[in-house]
Amino acid sequence: MDFLFDFQSLGIGGATLAMFVMLMALLLTGMPLAFVTLLVALIFALGWFGPMAVPLITSRIFSFVNSFVFVSVPMFVLMAAILDRSGIARDLFDAMKVLAGRIRGGVAIQTLLVAVVLAAMSGIIGGEVILLGLLALPQMLRLGYDRNLAIGVCCAGGALGTMVPPSIVLIIYGLTANVSVGDLFSAAFLPGLMLAGFYAAYILIRAYMNPALAPIAEPEDITRAEKLRLLKGLFLPILVVIFVLGSIYGGIASVTEASAIGVIGVTLSTIIRGEFTVDLMIGAAKQTLRTVGMIVWIGIGASALVGVFNLMGGINFVSNLITGISDNPTVVILFMMAILFVLGMFLDWVGIALLCMPIFVPIVRDMGYDPVWFGVVFAMNMQVSFLSPPFGPAAFYLKSVAPPDISLGDIFRSLLPFIGMQILAVALLIAFPGITGH
Amino acid sequence: MTDVIDETLASHNQTPEAVPEAGLFGKAVNAIGLLFAIGILASAGLLFYEVVMRYVFNAPTRWVHETVVFLSALAFVYGGLYAAAIDKHIRVVIFYDRLSAGMKRVFNILISLTCLIASLFFAWAAWLSVKRAAWTPQGDFRLETSGSAWNPPYPGLLKIFLLIILVLLVVQFTIFTINYLRRKGQA
Amino acid sequence: QEFTFRIQSSDPAGNTNFVLQKEWAEMVSEKTDGRVAVEMLPVETIVAHSETMDAVAAGILDGHFTDTSYASGKDPAFGLIANPVGAWSSPDQMFDFMENGGGKELMNEMLEPYGLHFIGATTPGLEAFVSKVPLDGVDDLKGLKLRAPEGMVQNVFAAAGASPVNLPGSEVFTSLDKGVIDAADYNTFSTNAAQGLHDVAKHPVYPGFHSMPLIEVSVNKAKWDSLPDDLKTAMEDSVREFATYQSETVLKRDMEAVEEAKAGGEITVHDWSDEDRAKFRAIARSQWEKAAQASENSQKVYDLLTTYLVENGLMAED
Ligand code: NA
Ligand code: NA
Repeated sequence: MDFLFDFQSLGIGGATLAMFVMLMALLLTGMPLAFVTLLVALIFALGWFGPMAVPLITSRIFSFVNSFVFVSVPMFVLMAAILDRSGIARDLFDAMKVLAGRIRGGVAIQTLLVAVVLAAMSGIIGGEVILLGLLALPQMLRLGYDRNLAIGVCCAGGALGTMVPPSIVLIIYGLTANVSVGDLFSAAFLPGLMLAGFYAAYILIRAYMNPALAPIAEPEDITRAEKLRLLKGLFLPILVVIFVLGSIYGGIASVTEASAIGVIGVTLSTIIRGEFTVDLMIGAAKQTLRTVGMIVWIGIGASALVGVFNLMGGINFVSNLITGISDNPTVVILFMMAILFVLGMFLDWVGIALLCMPIFVPIVRDMGYDPVWFGVVFAMNMQVSFLSPPFGPAAFYLKSVAPPDISLGDIFRSLLPFIGMQILAVALLIAFPGITGH
Repeated sequence: MTDVIDETLASHNQTPEAVPEAGLFGKAVNAIGLLFAIGILASAGLLFYEVVMRYVFNAPTRWVHETVVFLSALAFVYGGLYAAAIDKHIRVVIFYDRLSAGMKRVFNILISLTCLIASLFFAWAAWLSVKRAAWTPQGDFRLETSGSAWNPPYPGLLKIFLLIILVLLVVQFTIFTINYLRRKGQA
Repeated sequence: QEFTFRIQSSDPAGNTNFVLQKEWAEMVSEKTDGRVAVEMLPVETIVAHSETMDAVAAGILDGHFTDTSYASGKDPAFGLIANPVGAWSSPDQMFDFMENGGGKELMNEMLEPYGLHFIGATTPGLEAFVSKVPLDGVDDLKGLKLRAPEGMVQNVFAAAGASPVNLPGSEVFTSLDKGVIDAADYNTFSTNAAQGLHDVAKHPVYPGFHSMPLIEVSVNKAKWDSLPDDLKTAMEDSVREFATYQSETVLKRDMEAVEEAKAGGEITVHDWSDEDRAKFRAIARSQWEKAAQASENSQKVYDLLTTYLVENGLMAED
């Protein structure tokens, strides 16, 4: 069994590099991400320590799934799946028509408003992008909107779900960094809205500079009565937002419980609308099972890899590498952002949070920064990861519901200006931490 | 326009089926998934019940949180097998999509085989942990409990469940490997 | 060095207890002239806090520095010996029980079959109680929504009429702030103060009346058996010295934090009368009796503990 222990001769530096290269190479073969990380964890457990270290991986799988905070994942997914199947989101979209009015780029602004309301209801990304892709994209394309603008609004708007509270990214950060999720939510409100504001400004500026990008819909006189009828579509979604955030800030429920209250709120809405059926609930639940299987197993893989890497002494190595980069704390923070940005191109945010936060947060604390502020910066950086190729979940989700003539390459190209705005937002948060109130 | 949206929504919301290469076994995995999906619905209801009991009646339960964590954990673990059977695990296909049909088949075989071998290791490790979670050092059968005031044997049950699912993953990847070798389904 | 021990703590990296535990690692090195090196790892670094026992037995970790109650899921007896709620009034009493009252021998009788060897015990000291509402005795616990750790602590509070709530530590602050709970069993006074809990819950009870956790230092048994006797003795001594050092350090910090809180004028520190402490202990004792029936080892713990308390005049015979 001697050959098994050869890995140690690489040294921790060489092993870290080998691990990264192996991850990327396996990822590009098309192997599922969850199994790529599990496999690399297994190879290094065997190669560095031998078979006795393998139970470490199953132990981490067990602990990872056995956590109260993770219960909010299926709850948020379920909420989106029920919304998908009811007319709630549809009516919300129509209601926003009244608010966005007849301005240039009105439908794009309308889409963005829907995105913000959906973001305040739920905390994950997939559901929102899909809803916008189903509701708004066909309408914008039909009106002759610039394709890139239409695609970008749907993807970037949908990704807001994890920036505007409640947010599963902030929940997981709170868990790994041991800071209050309530504080993180409060701190993320303004930055989330700021980012949405950037998108809105971008749409308006481009639409007014080049009217051909966003033609105005045929004049359609909406009567006052019709307006009121449409605005009713706002009522139930806003009620759900009040249910979720109100139960957290009103001291009624913990953050995890509030996600379940959101599910109850959405379910009640379908009952009120007369859409509730057992089939609808079962269909939504099965879709949830599939989606959490994907999300949680990516987390499982990352958690296993972290455990093995830590046992190898990797934490100290990477931590020293980062702090050694400069005596200037801002440079260290920027270096961390660069790492997150690069990892965001290849990995899912759950994996990134679990890999990096145990290393980054103690350094951030030691440098005297507020971990709540850093959590918001992290969530903003993960906004980029949803859009950046080659692994861009928002693009994947949109592709699954977009017209077939729109390729993944088209989508990624459309996202570049939005990535630019996200990076600008990250930079502003670092330059002016006051935006988070911390 | 409305009809187009309706159509896209409806096709998007169709319940997924197991991919052909997953075989009959994959179909069974898909069907049994219903149980765990219902567990997710039950979790939402239970958490709401807990909030009402605590906030309205000032009588928090000692069993809801642990039960919800257990139900969710079952769904998480099963979800991995389920996503494998319906081939919905997230993967980066930019490079893979450009391969010829023949190369795709080779990749499929190698990927399934690798996942099969990895799952075997994990199943073996899970067995070691089940030995500690289901029997005392004296050899009596005793499921590991949560240690809480309510003290249910959820940890022991979950460790056994994890072992079962890892074994089933071995089976699923064996079926995938064989079917890709026989070119069953589309490569 | 000849021997290295990779030991995972049940405290996170920034926690004061973890910082102290790293000092213990240095003490070991000094006491053994560098022949034994200890590497302390923060909680969850390698495995979850509840999984360290298996990891040590399997040789993935060499040891753990952990709250013994995390092993209650294996045998409820660990939960009882880890925190016989209300039994101890000071760390010294518990240390004496472990050294001279048979505690250490019993710990090893229970732990060695699992593949671990118990070296010694320590504790940060009596926990303080965090509360938003004034609590001046057992009667005030009635209907109180409080967060308590899993296990017997919850049972005792329930028996006292309170409503214990399960919450992860990371949600305690927000839950107190928003009034999801009124009170929490959390940590020592200085730690509670440092984490800002008193800003949202201005009626702490100090000294606490409930918990004093048993923190154990245990290592893989095979690895322990391979140590020469002089190193075994040196490691045992180091844990003993550390226990005194830790409890004194924490006590000093707590006293300073209490003075600071009192001087600030915003926080009212409550102290229970002896009668109320006795009342609470009586409620707790009824729960020990119940807990004793949970397993064979639990009964052993109960018998040994009550014998010790009676013999040392800490409890009346009944
Ligand atoms: Na959100
Ligand atoms: Na990306």
